[in-house]
Amino acid sequence: MANMAVSRIKREFKEVMRSEEIVQCSIKIELINDSWTELRGEIAGPPDTPYEGGKFILEIKVPETYPFNPPKVRFITKIWHPNISSVTGAICLDILKDNWAAAMTLRTVLLSLQALLAAAEPDDPQDAVVAYQYKDKYPLFLMTAKHWTNVYAGGPHKFTECDLKIQRLKDMGIDEHDARAVLSKENWDLEKATESLFS
Amino acid sequence: MGNCLKINNSDDISLLQGGEISNTQDFAPDQNDPAPIYSELLQPIFFPSPSVRRPVSHLTEEEQVKIAKRIGLIQHLPIGTYDGSKKSRECVICMIDFCVDEAVRYLPCMHIYHVHCIDDWLMRSLTCPSCMEPVDAALLTSYETT
Ligand SMILES: [Zn+2]
Ligand SMILES: [Zn+2]
Repeated sequence: MANMAVSRIKREFKEVMRSEEIVQCSIKIELINDSWTELRGEIAGPPDTPYEGGKFILEIKVPETYPFNPPKVRFITKIWHPNISSVTGAICLDILKDNWAAAMTLRTVLLSLQALLAAAEPDDPQDAVVAYQYKDKYPLFLMTAKHWTNVYAGGPHKFTECDLKIQRLKDMGIDEHDARAVLSKENWDLEKATESLFS
Repeated sequence: MGNCLKINNSDDISLLQGGEISNTQDFAPDQNDPAPIYSELLQPIFFPSPSVRRPVSHLTEEEQVKIAKRIGLIQHLPIGTYDGSKKSRECVICMIDFCVDEAVRYLPCMHIYHVHCIDDWLMRSLTCPSCMEPVDAALLTSYETT
């Protein structure tokens, strides 16, 4: 890897470790390999959002052209959010694309992602299904996002109704995660979910 | 949807030195059918916009003009030596402290960077990486006022 990328990441790593957000446990970062090309980030779900109480793990890949190009970041923890793919964890955020600037750091990226969790932009979606639900059936979106936060990120809100419907599909031989994804997409309509699974 | 991460894929290989690599002429497996992959790797690479990278032969005429103008603009930005000022101690691109008497480039917003660091950045985007101020707009107004 290019020298500048490595020395930058090393310096940033030290900087982020001393930051206030680390002390408050709102963000975390750790090294994955010795070549400093891959890191793992963690952000806490912001208060007063359906993600509150959850911890979200991120895959961070540093390109050789860093800091002239942005790091490649993806959610490893499954999340229900209009700007994040519920399937792959891919993120739609301007600073990770054309609005990246060489002065931005891993710390600013993590804080921006936290801000994205607090303020979704459904008109610039990464996941069209989630964005549609957000705009059209907001209470259902909130429930689904909290349910996913509970199951995948350790959030506090349990929804027995969701669990029961997932169990019904599991009884039909459907994988739990697939069942959750289909029910979430079909606005928790068990009949429609079954139809889309078996048609 | 789904169009978000694709643009980065082409940047996997190091292209930072692209602009300086001279063409290796003797690597031509078949004269009649020049292998596009090799020629792409050996040519200087330019960035008509931040996420678009192209070897010099693939640039459209419009992009060539754009890049030529950009190089001209960058060369108009003053270079000075770091005077030890405490206001900006490090180059925020490489995050390395400036040494006294080291060559630095001044942007119109008065942010300073190592010459090689900022030139690499400006070839992709004509904005100050610290304050996002467009470098060309500021330059043009400064031409008008002088
Ligand atoms: Zn520098
Ligand atoms: Zn500036």
